[in-house]
Amino acid sequence: MRLEQGVKLISRPGAPGADVAAAKKLLPHLDWIYLGAEFCENLLEDGFCGEAERWQAEGKKVCLLTPLLTERGVKALGSLGRRLMAACSAGRLDPARLELTVNDLGAAALAARERWPFKLAAGRQISHNFLQLEKKHLKAVNRPTLAFFADLGIERFELSPAGRLPPANFHSRAFGLGREAFKVTLHYPYLDLTTTRTCLVGMPYVAPKDSVSGINCLRECEACSFEVDHPWIKEKLQIRGNTVFAAFPKKVQYAPAEAGRLNADRLVYSPLV
Amino acid sequence: MKIVASFSRLKEIKPLAAAGADELYCSVDPLFSFGDPVGLPGFRELGRAADAAHALGLKLSLAVNHVNPVFKLSEEAGLVRKFSAARAAGVDAFIFANPGVLTLLKRAELRGAQLHLSSVQPCFNSLTAGLFIGLGVSRVILPNQLAPREAAALLKLCAARGVDTELFDYRFFGCAYVNGRCGLHRPDNYTLKVRVPPGSMCRPEMGGAALPRAVNLRPAWQDRLPGLSARLAARFGCGGGPRLANAASFFDYFASGVQYLKYGTRPDRAAVKARKVAELRSMLDLASELAAALPRAEARERFILKMEKWDGGKVRHAS
Repeated sequence: MRLEQGVKLISRPGAPGADVAAAKKLLPHLDWIYLGAEFCENLLEDGFCGEAERWQAEGKKVCLLTPLLTERGVKALGSLGRRLMAACSAGRLDPARLELTVNDLGAAALAARERWPFKLAAGRQISHNFLQLEKKHLKAVNRPTLAFFADLGIERFELSPAGRLPPANFHSRAFGLGREAFKVTLHYPYLDLTTTRTCLVGMPYVAPKDSVSGINCLRECEACSFEVDHPWIKEKLQIRGNTVFAAFPKKVQYAPAEAGRLNADRLVYSPLV
Repeated sequence: MKIVASFSRLKEIKPLAAAGADELYCSVDPLFSFGDPVGLPGFRELGRAADAAHALGLKLSLAVNHVNPVFKLSEEAGLVRKFSAARAAGVDAFIFANPGVLTLLKRAELRGAQLHLSSVQPCFNSLTAGLFIGLGVSRVILPNQLAPREAAALLKLCAARGVDTELFDYRFFGCAYVNGRCGLHRPDNYTLKVRVPPGSMCRPEMGGAALPRAVNLRPAWQDRLPGLSARLAARFGCGGGPRLANAASFFDYFASGVQYLKYGTRPDRAAVKARKVAELRSMLDLASELAAALPRAEARERFILKMEKWDGGKVRHAS
């Protein structure tokens, strides 16, 4: 199985940063460009449509990452989806080379309702429903959950394996999954440990008399990421916006055969800065 | 609004009912649930719990809300039998999180038992709610990180489809991180230097001592960096960001017609459980009295003022 290579960009649409410059240098080696907002709906913008068009024009396949959604995010994703569909109709985007990663089951429901033709993947924040990663094993938990995701059009699951590729049960007859039943995308070099809606750097204090209408911020997450020493654990933690990450302990170099054992056919470099 | 209270031992049922619980829920050890393993020891005990609850006029729900339970093909039929046995023992509703468990519940002989979507399969929008309502869910337990105004469309959909909604009491529950998606408490994800009490990783109580270090700061943010660093240190080091769930959000949910209020700390001691349920009852009584006597805006304001002075129940329970 060939291991496709991708890179996740974190620049805002229309404001290319160092990540975009680096991706352009690496372009011949990349199959996929990952765009969008994986962890916060406030970062979901119509402008990602234009970015998707540009990267496809460079010959790359594009995956649009989407976050946990409240109604505000549903509205933003609906708007972006309409732009993507218009771009497809106009021939500026090839729907066969555009994938949508969902981190909210409502996004999958929206894709079904709007009949979007893009392939769907379960993002790092919902794939734990199906994939249980522990130090010594990676387990696909049960067949009915796989069937549930398949009914939603999801047959790919994204995962941060924290530098290790433990034995998996994917090919065990006891679980009845089948070798071709699903694929895995591996993100490195950070494991997303936890996420909050009320951003760690960007949301004002909420007083007892305040009932908010949403998470309002000044996009403080764009300032930088932060390195934090947790007093009880050895690894340093990285925080970007509303999400806490742990860095993988060593450089990641997965052999295609090793990744193939986990049904992994795609490796995505997902930096924080 | 009715009160749903958790219990982990039979002897807790009567005191919880006396304290004001309208419904009860528990877990049972032969089946998986989210969080600490504090379930009843078996189905015989579950049957006794159902009988005791029903004798007091209370419904009983069973939490089978493990997020990602591992089971083989050969174990599916056994699980279906266990769900059927739980229903036969008197369980009125099942609280689930994993979609595969929902599939098996629907294969079981549930004879009218309800299906409740757990908050650890967090539902933040009306599309997710609609998906699960379409699969037979009759109650959505709301995540604590959803504000009432954000939930308006979800609540409207549930009301239109005859589906109940439930929220946690903001005083006794609510991590700052998204419940059900958090990997902070899984030691497989890092290397511990010291032994720490379960569930405390998100509250390291670092104070402002260990300021975070900015990495690749964008020059435009240089002036605001000290403020951001201090905010992050306070939030990460001392238990998370601002809480959306507070007195105001409770009143707004109450006024929106949310039907159930939950107290859900199963590992609490029996006396603590009863005391907290009494606190839920007091708060509900206060909200009901004010809402009945005053225009909504005034009732809300008075409610918030009263709840701001809430002392954790120390004064009343000390007397």
